[in-house]
Amino acid sequence: MTFLGKFKYFGLREKFVLVVSMVIISSMLIISGYLIKRQNEIYHQELVSRGQALVTSLAYNAEFGVILESQSDLEELLKGVSRADDITYALICASDGRVLAEIGVDKFAAVRDNLAHTEDEPDGGKYRQRQYFDHEGTEYIEIRYPVQTRKQQLSRENLGSVFDYQARDYGSDTEIIGEVCLGLTMANLREEINRSQSAAILLTLMVVFSAIIIMTAFVRVIVHPIKTLVEVTDQISKGDLSKTVDINRRDEIGLLAESFNRMIESLKKSQQEIEEYNRNLEQKIIERTHELEDAQTQLIQSEKLAGIGQLAAGVAHELNNPLGGILGYAQFTLEKMEKKEIATLTPKDYESFKRYLRDIETQTRRCKTIVQNLLKFSRSSSKVEFHDTDINQVMEETMTFIEHQLVMNQISLKKDLDKHIPIIQGNPGQLQQVFTNMIINALHASPAGTTITIMTRYLPPLGEFPGAIEIYIADQGMGISEDNLKKIFEPFFTTKEVGKGTGLGLSVSYGIIKDHGGEIKVKSKVGEGTTFAIIIPLEKKAVAVDKIEIDK
Amino acid sequence: MIQTAQKSILIVDDEEVMREFLSEVLEDFSIEKACDGHEAISKIKEKKYDLIITDMKMPGISGEEVVQFAKKTCPNSKIIVISGYSSLFSVGNTMRFGISAFLSKPFTIKQIRSEVEKSLVGEKDRESSGEDYHV
Repeated sequence: MTFLGKFKYFGLREKFVLVVSMVIISSMLIISGYLIKRQNEIYHQELVSRGQALVTSLAYNAEFGVILESQSDLEELLKGVSRADDITYALICASDGRVLAEIGVDKFAAVRDNLAHTEDEPDGGKYRQRQYFDHEGTEYIEIRYPVQTRKQQLSRENLGSVFDYQARDYGSDTEIIGEVCLGLTMANLREEINRSQSAAILLTLMVVFSAIIIMTAFVRVIVHPIKTLVEVTDQISKGDLSKTVDINRRDEIGLLAESFNRMIESLKKSQQEIEEYNRNLEQKIIERTHELEDAQTQLIQSEKLAGIGQLAAGVAHELNNPLGGILGYAQFTLEKMEKKEIATLTPKDYESFKRYLRDIETQTRRCKTIVQNLLKFSRSSSKVEFHDTDINQVMEETMTFIEHQLVMNQISLKKDLDKHIPIIQGNPGQLQQVFTNMIINALHASPAGTTITIMTRYLPPLGEFPGAIEIYIADQGMGISEDNLKKIFEPFFTTKEVGKGTGLGLSVSYGIIKDHGGEIKVKSKVGEGTTFAIIIPLEKKAVAVDKIEIDK
Repeated sequence: MIQTAQKSILIVDDEEVMREFLSEVLEDFSIEKACDGHEAISKIKEKKYDLIITDMKMPGISGEEVVQFAKKTCPNSKIIVISGYSSLFSVGNTMRFGISAFLSKPFTIKQIRSEVEKSLVGEKDRESSGEDYHV
């Protein structure tokens, strides 16, 4: 990752410090760089000027020493000069190159060698100047100046004005009689520059350091409350509204904290309102649920009552028909018998009585059957025994009873019985009753020319599934409407004419299949037909036989 | 006793026992029987009966439709409705059809005879038999 890439991950404090430090360092560098350079120039200039002044002064003062070639005078002269710190060496030589006097030159053998043929550029007239480094790396400036004398000047009266430089006329009539060479070290200058540089660096560091301290303190003042804000925001986002921002300041951050606290307050308030609302809502929902439950209970109760009414009406109608015959014939017989003496009864009367009584018996039996059906429906009858049952065989037997009816109604039968069905524990009589009921139902629903399909299937055990037998009875009849589909297993529900169906067939079938641990499913579409599926598991579930109450 | 020789009665009921019983009780009249609404309507089309005794609940065409058809085809025919249901409420707005009487099964011989006689004699004494309508 590049530095710029990392930069955005820095904290505010780091960013501030970094930027400010960089600004300070770069400006310090520029400023001190410039100042040092300037100082260097000035110092150099000064050194050169002083050197030139010294060399000039030496040259004038050495005029007579050179003429007289007085070594001691000249050495005395040089000694006086060399007291200055930065004068490293000095020498005076004659015009033929002979060194008349020298001081400090020992170290600089090269200086003497170079004397005659130094070709350095003259600096503004007669100064010859060069800069060089010795083998230790110290830099020197060497300045030379010719020692001159006037050709006809050497008169006694003129000797007194040696120092009167201005008065001297250096015209074309001057003669060069020798040369003064002065070596100045630049070590002091370098030292001075180094000191300045160190000072500049030290100063920069100090400024940066104090800037960092100040920045850190300042940033802390700004960042700390922001951090507090962040922490509180975090708490709020987690749903904890108990904290407030504790910043007591008059500046923008203080205002921010204040408005933040106000926000928390209003959040708290709306949260409380929502909670209150939720509580109310919950209460309302509970109330409504109770109301609904009550209403449902009432509805169930009234449906039950309606069911009982329906049942009663159905039973009454069923019973009233045969009772009509019974009552009628009983009265009729009585009437006839009362009209005649026993002795006068003719064989014809006797036959009539027999017929009446037979009718009464038949109708009474019919009443008995109805009552028995009712009892069967209430399922209060004794326990049913289960034994080995071959579903396919039961189905075949059932078909023998019904096939004739199918033919009469011009309905064809498609049989598809799975030969692999195992023997199950069941009650063949009851199962036959169920199959008969369902096939008769299918028959009644089927118009002529349609087909009823009967199918058995074996579903082998798989994992926890114990295996099952499925029996399908499908017709292409009128179908059952959705409303009726919900009711078909209800007792006494029938769409048939009164007297044709008790409305008990399917509910009794349902009970029987439930006793076998199975279930009945039905799929129907109006106008297309109905399919009943009976599913009997191989392992009879240990379910208690549900008693279906009449009012259920 | 009323004049019975010429009076014709049509008995409509899907219960054979009831048809037989009624025809024996009313043997003095000219009796014809229909076992459902279909047969009843075709018979009413062919002949004008003095009295039609019909059950209400029958497969196919119901007693109600038979009554409606009879009122339209032969308004002079009297009608007695018999039913396994115990009240007029159960059979619907039967009285609107202008029938002579409603009898709920089981009824006595006396009741049926009385109603038949009353309806064949005329509209008089209707109120005396009113009790039978509201069992």
